[in-house]
Amino acid sequence: MTAAPAVETKDLVKVFERGRRTIWQRLRGEADKRDRFRAVDGIDLVVEPGEIFGLLGPNGAGKTTTMKMLATLLIPTSGTIRVLGIDPLARPREVRARLGAMLSGERSLYWKLTARENLEYFAALYHVPPHQTKARIASVLAAAKLADRADDYVERYSTGMRQRLALARALLPDPPLVVLDEPTVGLDPQASRDLRDRVRELKAQGRTVLLTTHYMEEADQLCDRVAIIDHGRIVALDTPAALKRTIRAEEVVHLEIGLEGDEGGAVLDRLGESATVARSERSNGTLTVTAHCASARNFVPAAFDAARSTGTTIRHVEVVPVTLEDVFLALTGRALRE
Amino acid sequence: MSLLAADLRAFFAAALKELRQQRRYPTLFLGQLFWPAILPASWVLMGRAYSGDDPQALVAFAERAGSSNVAVFVFVGYAMYNWLSALLWGAGTALRQEQLRGTLEAVFVTPASRLVPLFGPGVGTLLPMALTFASNLLALRIFFGIFPPVAAVIQAAVIVVLGIPALYAIGALFAASVLRFGEVAPVVQLIRGMFVLACGITFPVAMLPLWAQISAKLMAPTYIVDDLRGVLLRGETVADVAGDIAIVLSLAAVTAILAVAVFGYLERSARRTGMVGRF
Repeated sequence: MTAAPAVETKDLVKVFERGRRTIWQRLRGEADKRDRFRAVDGIDLVVEPGEIFGLLGPNGAGKTTTMKMLATLLIPTSGTIRVLGIDPLARPREVRARLGAMLSGERSLYWKLTARENLEYFAALYHVPPHQTKARIASVLAAAKLADRADDYVERYSTGMRQRLALARALLPDPPLVVLDEPTVGLDPQASRDLRDRVRELKAQGRTVLLTTHYMEEADQLCDRVAIIDHGRIVALDTPAALKRTIRAEEVVHLEIGLEGDEGGAVLDRLGESATVARSERSNGTLTVTAHCASARNFVPAAFDAARSTGTTIRHVEVVPVTLEDVFLALTGRALRE
Repeated sequence: MSLLAADLRAFFAAALKELRQQRRYPTLFLGQLFWPAILPASWVLMGRAYSGDDPQALVAFAERAGSSNVAVFVFVGYAMYNWLSALLWGAGTALRQEQLRGTLEAVFVTPASRLVPLFGPGVGTLLPMALTFASNLLALRIFFGIFPPVAAVIQAAVIVVLGIPALYAIGALFAASVLRFGEVAPVVQLIRGMFVLACGITFPVAMLPLWAQISAKLMAPTYIVDDLRGVLLRGETVADVAGDIAIVLSLAAVTAILAVAVFGYLERSARRTGMVGRF
């Protein structure tokens, strides 16, 4: 018998109203004229047990809303969800008991309490049996490398330490499924690496990890599978390697081309003959181009020829490997950070 | 461990968390000691300034209040006001702070009952309130040379303890509004003002029009403050006010049920609108 998916959603939709409906409008029985905004617009997702699954997308794509619905913090407008085979709408407390959630990072801790006091409180909220509490807290503190600072107030911690403590708290119930919303936001590179290592350890322990991120490197390095999400919809879902193969390019070339007049269209046409122009942007006499090509060795000389023949000047060339950012660009025409 | 036992443990952990956080700001406790002594004393002195030593004024007061001891009457009223304020503000403010800080979502993704964050933090207000009562008693002794009989003080303490569920439930009822409206202050100000006016906290209920006196009978603080004055001023015993205590406990049960229902409704509303994580 195969195990049930760790997470399964079907046609998941969440609609929010924009603006407020005043008490006066309600009392007068006026029609609700607020705009409706589909933050999540029909997401189908299956996360298998034991994998690290990433939701990758720009800010406002619907990642956090999806996470909050899985974590029982939001009620979906329509669609179905199963978390570890349980319907969170019908049996929310059972889902919460099996779920380790780190949703608002360092803000989710009591800064005027010590790490140990935070964990003691949450151990009680997670219904950790009293005789196991001390050992469980010692275990998660050691895993988070915070044992020696356990009795310091959280306000004296660095951002990275607080994030590690928030993750330690999420692990108090020893959950088979861990959901992490933007776990490395605001962290320095070293702290980010430490946290990613912790996430890999969770997978090694047999847990399923579902995380959101808008850092393509994070999704690439960490996730077994990635769903790229934009405007509330999944636009692609596969392993990072398979996603990168979909754009049919081996390399990505970024060009900065100096323009004298209206030569932009002509040079783009010429570049398009030897590569796929994924993105172009004109600003202050400079045309910035991102091109997907089979070989930069062949494309770069062709680009210089194109510039010469159109009376423009290439000012900067950068050749980089294909990333998930390029996949997102190819699928949506926009960069992840836009 | 049964679910109920686990939730009870979570409830006391929430109270302990609140007390631990209060302990980080020890100067707050100084306010609990001095202000309750100074403010009601100033009211008593103001009353004396109006009436002087005119025995007719005291007789008129005794006819309405049931005692001519203005100082104890005012101090009991003030203690009630303070207690009511703390419980009305306490639960709502604690919930609001959780929302502003970002910890409310972390609490709501645990399997603990939603009633834990609603009712648990209110326990944190009980210790400061005990300090306030002690401060009131001390001020009566120092400023006015009055110390009620120990037996009366003990019976007053019993009435206070039995009144806790009612005031607690009132606080929880209005705290729930945080989930829908995000801010509890306007509601608390309105309700506190209503209780101060209607429940005989700073003046006898007999001063109110008849319809307001009838309305006051539906409010638990009216009975609690009157019973406290009964044992401290009129020589009554807990047995004498047992009927009132039964009414207070019944009102507590009704208010608590209402608070749970309102909280449940508003919590579902907050999960639909996303208000849990907004502020």
